[in-house]
Amino acid sequence: MITFNKVTKKFPLGNTALNDVSFEIDDNELIFLVGPSGAGKTTILKMITQELKPTTGSIIIDDFDITDKNFSQKINLRRKIGIIFQDFKVLIDKNVFENVAVSLKVVGADYSLIKSEVKRVLELVGLTKKEKVFPLQLSAGELQRVAIARAVIGDRNIIMADEPTGNLDPKTSWDIMKIFKKLEGKRTIIIATHNTDIVNSFQKRVLVLKEGKIIKDLRKGGYEL
Amino acid sequence: MKEIWTSIRRTPYQSLSAFLILFFTLFLSSMLFVSLTFLYGTLGYLETKPQVTVYFQNKALENQIFKVRDELMSSGKVSNIKYISKNEAFNIYKQLNKDNPLLLEMVSAEILPPSLEIYAKKPIYLPEIAEYLKKQGDIDEVQYEKDIVDKLLILTNTIRKTALIFFSYLILMSIVVLTTTILFKIALKESEITLLKLIGATNFYIRKPYIMESLFLGTTASILSFSIFSLITLYLRPFLASYLKGVTSLSVNIFNYPLTVWPLNPLFFGIVFVSSLIFGAVIATVASYIATNKYLKV
Repeated sequence: MITFNKVTKKFPLGNTALNDVSFEIDDNELIFLVGPSGAGKTTILKMITQELKPTTGSIIIDDFDITDKNFSQKINLRRKIGIIFQDFKVLIDKNVFENVAVSLKVVGADYSLIKSEVKRVLELVGLTKKEKVFPLQLSAGELQRVAIARAVIGDRNIIMADEPTGNLDPKTSWDIMKIFKKLEGKRTIIIATHNTDIVNSFQKRVLVLKEGKIIKDLRKGGYEL
Repeated sequence: MKEIWTSIRRTPYQSLSAFLILFFTLFLSSMLFVSLTFLYGTLGYLETKPQVTVYFQNKALENQIFKVRDELMSSGKVSNIKYISKNEAFNIYKQLNKDNPLLLEMVSAEILPPSLEIYAKKPIYLPEIAEYLKKQGDIDEVQYEKDIVDKLLILTNTIRKTALIFFSYLILMSIVVLTTTILFKIALKESEITLLKLIGATNFYIRKPYIMESLFLGTTASILSFSIFSLITLYLRPFLASYLKGVTSLSVNIFNYPLTVWPLNPLFFGIVFVSSLIFGAVIATVASYIATNKYLKV
């Protein structure tokens, strides 16, 4: 479970990215964070990965207060989280297999486990035959599939996607969202997006943000910008 | 190894500049180290020579010489005195000129003076001892090498201080250049490092490839600089032999272990090589550590 408790984030120049935000996300829940640019969606994701720390308030993940000064498990926390970016962030000098394997290599997994796990997730994202292909030879949709495979491999039980379809055409976007559909109920999935069609079609919980505040917490999907 | 080679091929100019600066530093450091050990060895060698030698006239009696020796010994300023009789002096002369029969024929034990070789406890006693000896009867000559030892001591200290400054400059320069070079390489991989941090990589996991590459460059530079240094030293060996003619051995104390620097020997070369390897590895590791630090704050 992820709990945000009265979280405020103010940047040194004075702008407030989040203002007294509180919400809970259950284990294996799929949730959308929506709202215009600057609403605070990415700030929430960055706080979960501890790239940013709140100015006030607390964030609790799996009973650990990650905002506590004594919290020293940043690396272990990040090993539980898979992240998907709008710009894919794939490693251009590594092939598909290596790009996906990196998630397990950093945790020190042995090669036989890496091999079998990579095969499994590449099957999940539909890239079985492309494991030796380099990123420059892949389409945008395929690159995002690589990023998803990298995020879901291993024991990463929180999957966060920041505008995962932002750089994709509508058809590819749907294909990518079908992968999230396959993962639904098995992992905690947080998707920050602008794509109203996708959010509406999923009919899942939606947190609507505006100017750093949650203005709606819709338990069953559907919203308009 | 494959990853190191790939990284070098992808950024050949950065790798070459890192290699060249490491080579330059290690080569100069080896030369400095060897020059200093030779200087210290020479100083040590001169200090083992008698600091005051007093030659008596032929008419001087042994009793008279022994009396001078005993008085000096009882002064508390002398650590050792060696008496060289006429016969012993002749034996030494014969040994030194064994290849020159003409010189041997011209000299007999009778014409060689008896002498005392005196080793002072402290160099400051030397003028006093020399003055005392000059006042004794039947003295032919008092030779005293304080000036030479003092000058060599001053020279060695000056070179040591200069070398230390130069050495520090070399280290600083190589670390700065190496750090900058690695920073160029890392800048190309900034987003990769950020990603690795976000998926839970430890700092060591991220640093490892850069440290390994730097260590590879450091080791290669050490081997090359040592090879060139060895070739130069072996080429100069005949010149050194003629310059150090009569000096049977030079040694320095390293951590209380007497290391022979002359004649040239495998142990001395081994120590130069190992020192160069360690030095190269330390510079490479420190530079990689500093360079990667900047990108690990995610």
